[in-house]
Amino acid sequence: MGLNTASEVISLSRQLEEAGARFYEELARRYPAHGEDFLSLARENKKNIVQIERAYYGVITDALEGGFAFNISQDEYALPTELAPETSSEEALARAIEMEEKMRRFYAEAAEQSRSLMADVPRVFAQIARKRDGRLSTLKALLA
Amino acid sequence: MAILEEPIKEAITLKNYINGEWVESKSSEVWDVINPATQKVIARVPMSTRDEVEAAVRAAKDAFPDWRRTPPLARARCLFRLKELLEENFERLSRIQTMEHGKTIDESRGETRRGIEMVEVATGIPSLMMGYNLEDIATGIDEYVIYQPLGVFGHIAPFNFPFMVPLWYSPFALATGNTFIVKPSPRDPISQVKLAELVEEAGFPPGVYNVVHGGAEVASVLLEHPDIKGMTFVGTSKIGREIYKKCGETGKRAIVQGAAKNFMVVMPDANVEATIPALMTSFFGNTGQRCLSGANLVIVGKDDSFYQSFLEAFLEAAAKIKVGYGLDESIQMGPMQSADGKQRVSGYIERGLAEGAKLILDGRKPNIIGDYPDTCFLGPSVFEGVTPEMTIAREEIFGPVASVMRAADLDEAIDLVNSSQYGNGNAIFTSSGKNAREFQYRVESGNVGINIGIVAPMAFFPFGGMKDSFFGVLHGQGRDAIRFFTESKVVIQRWL
Repeated sequence: MGLNTASEVISLSRQLEEAGARFYEELARRYPAHGEDFLSLARENKKNIVQIERAYYGVITDALEGGFAFNISQDEYALPTELAPETSSEEALARAIEMEEKMRRFYAEAAEQSRSLMADVPRVFAQIARKRDGRLSTLKALLA
Repeated sequence: MAILEEPIKEAITLKNYINGEWVESKSSEVWDVINPATQKVIARVPMSTRDEVEAAVRAAKDAFPDWRRTPPLARARCLFRLKELLEENFERLSRIQTMEHGKTIDESRGETRRGIEMVEVATGIPSLMMGYNLEDIATGIDEYVIYQPLGVFGHIAPFNFPFMVPLWYSPFALATGNTFIVKPSPRDPISQVKLAELVEEAGFPPGVYNVVHGGAEVASVLLEHPDIKGMTFVGTSKIGREIYKKCGETGKRAIVQGAAKNFMVVMPDANVEATIPALMTSFFGNTGQRCLSGANLVIVGKDDSFYQSFLEAFLEAAAKIKVGYGLDESIQMGPMQSADGKQRVSGYIERGLAEGAKLILDGRKPNIIGDYPDTCFLGPSVFEGVTPEMTIAREEIFGPVASVMRAADLDEAIDLVNSSQYGNGNAIFTSSGKNAREFQYRVESGNVGINIGIVAPMAFFPFGGMKDSFFGVLHGQGRDAIRFFTESKVVIQRWL
């Protein structure tokens, strides 16, 4: 499904971050050895939502006056957050890495499409995309 | 995408807010407020009586002496509290606007934000209202100017921005120490009621801010009332001219913002990729019900290939616009605010066809996303081959209709723009600074866009307008608003 409006893209980012937070909370419950690492990632997911919504609600008028519209395919960013009961911690980490890479691509695309307008929104999208690099390093270190 | 939750669950009869009390109108005439997308009745609004308007004016007049003596900083604190409450209620206010007007949720959020920005700017009143002075205009004599509030001001609101437009004026009126009466549009008055609830919660004293519902009769009482010092109005030029005349007769100050017919001039050197989306929101945002909407698209140059390719890109984008209920986040264009509005726009389309324009995109039978009655819905329409004499090129349609015209060069394009009886928000799209400057310099327009499709001034700049788009001297918003809502008093002093 193609997303065109700012409201849709903000809603999608909220859904992705919430799904990510739930996923990491589940990992923390299943694999307590790395529980604090996972919970820290979940907390950051929730902070991201606040940061994005604050930026959006602050500059929404710019989107209107600038004729801003997205063209993002929601289907490309479906997150693999379902875990079977027998999933090993290595498989779960691999799933987390796949999820983070997808989210990094989503934010990079959203930042690129909003680049010329809504200054605060692309800045936040780009920041969150960059954060994903750090999160990926953490997850890869856990997997190693 | 799912439909966002509707904040209005049942239709209640709206009350007036007079002297800090919510008062039921005694009027037997009550109109339904209809959600234009669903056609459900979401409120009932009374056509208040003359006595009720009189009561509001009396309350506002009685509240004035204390309010003007309240220090500007204390008045600003009330506005700061209001700003916080508006932020807390941001989403609810926005969804109400979508329900009462039909605009998309992004558009409603933009409107809410713009309204809040007015309050934010008005909180700077201790600095904004300062006068000036000069020592020794003659030896031992000093002279200074002070700005003082005048008394009661009234506002007659339009339907197209039911929440924001009254806020172009009221925060500045209140901050400067005046009292205020709003008559919301009876078509979509609910967000003004919610705003008044927040004004009350913010702690403004009784009588400082009042809301009286109604139609032409309420407006007429406000206009004629000797205790009202000034009026602000946004609406059609025909009514605006009458209001300005009436204000002149009764010695009132007036800011009267009227109709528009805005030209979007596209030069061959324009950045097409960036221009098309800007034009989409200009022509079709708010379903074209905006005094800053694009109406006539002027493609400049003798090069047929540029004309054709630009028009195709414009058409392709317009045809893709998703029409439906604004609380569905995927929707890019909501319904017209009323069935009357839809009928009026359809009438203009018929007129365009009859006068020989070519309808290359017909929005009269739109594909509506979701299961909604088509009572108020229209899709984007585009006419080609429009000439300046045609009705659709001259009159304000106030709907999602673009009239495409050609001009050989910039001079011809500017002449076209200046031939209009209106001068509200005209724009040029170009990558040439020289073209842009020439356009800005010569065009008769109160607001000018350079690569901007909707030339809406921010709260700290005046909202301009020329020719039949504006009647008055000082404009709403910014420093103009501070001057409009105050009288300058000159003091010359010598101590003996």
